Amino acid sequence: MNNEQKVKHLMARAGFGLSPENFLQKTKTPYLKIVQKLFVPTKPKPVKTPYYNKLSPKAYRNLTKEQKKKVRKEIQRLTTEVNRNWLNQMITNDSQPLLEKMTLFWHGHFACEAKRYDFAAQYINTLRQHALGNFRDLVLAIAKDAAMIIYLNNQQNKKNKPNENFARELMELFTIGRGNYSEQDVKESARAFTGWFANKSDGSFNFKAEQHDSGSKTFMGKTGNFDGDDIIDIILENKQTARYLCQKIYRYFVCDKVDDNRIESLATILYNSNYDIARLMRHIFESPWFYDPNYVGSKIKSPIELQVGLAKIVRMRFDTANAGIYIQRALGQVLLRPPNVAGWPGGNAWIDNSTLMLRLNLGAYLVQKSNLQLNVKNGPEEMALKAPKQLAVSTDLMPLEKMLSDMQPQTKAIVLLGYLLASSLKNEAAFIQQLSTTHESQKDSTKRILSRILSLPEFQLC
Amino acid sequence: MKNISRRNFIKKTGLATAGTMAVPLFLKAFENRPFRDKKNQKKLIIIQFNGGNDGLNAVVPYTNDIYYKNRPSIAIPSTNVLKATDTLGFNPNLKILQSLYDDGSLSIINNIGYPDPDRSHFRSMDIWHTASNSNQFLSSGWLGRYLDNHQQRIAHQAIEIDDTLSLALKGKRNHGFAMSNPYQLHKTTNNKIIQTVRQHHHDHEHEEAVAYLYKTLSNTISSADYLFEKSKVYRSTETYPKGKLGKDFKQVAELIISGSDTQIYYLTIGGFDTHSNQVNQQNKLFKNYSEALAAFVRDLKKNDHWNDSLIMTFSEFGRRVAENGSKGTDHGKANNLYLMGGSIKKAGFYNQGPNLDQLDNGDLSFEIDFRRVYANILNDWLQTDSVSILQQSFRSLGIV
Repeated sequence: MNNEQKVKHLMARAGFGLSPENFLQKTKTPYLKIVQKLFVPTKPKPVKTPYYNKLSPKAYRNLTKEQKKKVRKEIQRLTTEVNRNWLNQMITNDSQPLLEKMTLFWHGHFACEAKRYDFAAQYINTLRQHALGNFRDLVLAIAKDAAMIIYLNNQQNKKNKPNENFARELMELFTIGRGNYSEQDVKESARAFTGWFANKSDGSFNFKAEQHDSGSKTFMGKTGNFDGDDIIDIILENKQTARYLCQKIYRYFVCDKVDDNRIESLATILYNSNYDIARLMRHIFESPWFYDPNYVGSKIKSPIELQVGLAKIVRMRFDTANAGIYIQRALGQVLLRPPNVAGWPGGNAWIDNSTLMLRLNLGAYLVQKSNLQLNVKNGPEEMALKAPKQLAVSTDLMPLEKMLSDMQPQTKAIVLLGYLLASSLKNEAAFIQQLSTTHESQKDSTKRILSRILSLPEFQLC
Repeated sequence: MKNISRRNFIKKTGLATAGTMAVPLFLKAFENRPFRDKKNQKKLIIIQFNGGNDGLNAVVPYTNDIYYKNRPSIAIPSTNVLKATDTLGFNPNLKILQSLYDDGSLSIINNIGYPDPDRSHFRSMDIWHTASNSNQFLSSGWLGRYLDNHQQRIAHQAIEIDDTLSLALKGKRNHGFAMSNPYQLHKTTNNKIIQTVRQHHHDHEHEEAVAYLYKTLSNTISSADYLFEKSKVYRSTETYPKGKLGKDFKQVAELIISGSDTQIYYLTIGGFDTHSNQVNQQNKLFKNYSEALAAFVRDLKKNDHWNDSLIMTFSEFGRRVAENGSKGTDHGKANNLYLMGGSIKKAGFYNQGPNLDQLDNGDLSFEIDFRRVYANILNDWLQTDSVSILQQSFRSLGIV
């Protein structure tokens, strides 16, 4: 692989691909230098919380039924605004691509449904703050995050009536994985997290000492007056947690199929660095095996990766918050609404006849504004969305035109294929030949060639 | 065929007339399909009530004082109930249930649910779709895993009448097929973009992800063509109610009667989340369901398909026994479920109605795990091994 191919692969995995401007610039930079830039410490840009003049609980109680309904609707709408803000951040934050990608990864890992706009934004920002930091800090911050506390019922985890939901998922899905703890461990750790509540008005962590069980607990063979911090420490002391996490990261960033030896050496790096996430990620992106051609284009893009990647290519902006949500629902991945706490299964599971047809047509809907006829499912408590005739998005092909200025269709096709596809097409020569034959204006030929390439199944891969 | 590209194969066999090549190819392919051999022509039709249907106002305990006391403004007056037994009867808008009951073609399972019920629509539906335990998270649906068990399969073996696919029909390897109607689907797969892309199909067998995408693409096109042709074979003359549901039921009847080799059909009706002003809303939904189902049953009977059809209607949870302050009901736990068809072995009420004296925190407590219904359907109707699909052994109910 040459440098351009390596940079492309790196940015597809450590980010969401490159805008035309960045493609021209970055593919000329040595890839290891780009890796280095990914890890220059920066303060994570927070996702914006929409402004809303929140009522006090008392004022809310005094509203009429109709007024209350209105308030609830408005809060639901604001949550879609958070979705849009986050999506826009992924699209436009060119200076922190890895931070954006890691945040999305963590959202799938610490999967959580957030119904309130303010808690939703706070949850995303918790993930962002620690996305490339220390895993222990991240787990602890998530255990104290209002959205998660509510989602996994820790708000109901009380001294005299423990609720095991959070404690169980903490081990099963967030840290050590199934088969590495006992039912007794679940019970005992649930006790350690009793009284870990969220303040429902401002979303802050609210430790209620009178609801906390401060008695002695026996957890994973150790006995003491453990609280939640101790439980997390004990779980992380077990190297299995590093293995479990490395497997997930490997599947997400490298390849769906895991290589056990490699996982073991990655786990050692993570464990010995005391769970330094950046250290692990940097090791992966600097490893020669990361650039094995077998991994290039081996993964099916998630709907968000596809949406954000396309947005970078055609400078897409969502005219309404619902436009982004509509595509997400139709393709099966709505931010802040994972199927359950296990997150999105990914891989081939993204693809069925309906999502594939939409994926292949998406480029044409965006670039050529062709008509769209697809109704998404509206769940009982979801905002009802109707099938739009056209997607409420705007695009700007100027950067692309600039990249392709004065080129003949044949050259355009070659350049665009190189830019848009992870690896070269099987029958590339014939395909380029096909794209080169017709006569039309510069602008039309860009649109035509672009939509043809975007409609290739190969474009679905990264 | 292994190392020949699809395109070359088509060229070699002289089927390469662009645009029409799909028809002969798929017809050829289907000649060897397992479902052509008449052995198992059984159809399963699932109707999902979205939002948590209030089962207590569907199958009404019309002699129970507790029912009337708890529901001063939304109870169904006993005089209006379509009586079935001394204690239970149907909502007056569910006429079809009464007629199927009289016919011996309906089995009602009361108090259905699962241990540790969840009151979230999303999560509870997830549990019904994946057949997981309440504290377990599966990413594949029970019908999807049924499809996984088929090596050689057709893409439209299980169809959801909708534009997008539900989790119930997503397997680990195989998926059901989402389609609102064959005409629109055919239009989609025959658009210029898709037709151009499919010409591009080449041998990718060693590259898994690409191969999977191209395979899904070509299966989708074949199935779209097949269903489009099938949809022209039989046009129903039955009167279905106006609106989407009537159309959807008609669609399913036409495909079944036309001899489509689809085995499972999945339909969803929304709007059952009746937190306020329940009576009008639920009556409207029931009436539409009842009329559409009645026409569907007539269609199937007339064309000799009733004995090969099994219909299941369910919802993610029932609702609380007591009405709330808005003439509605909030999310509850156990519910009832209906199985219908010409080959029901145990018709009538499978078990007694809910015991309103012993509520579980104001909710009906569950008695029968819904996965026992799935096990019954999988073992005895779809004739497969339910344990491999449900990943647990559930005692079959013996209803079908």
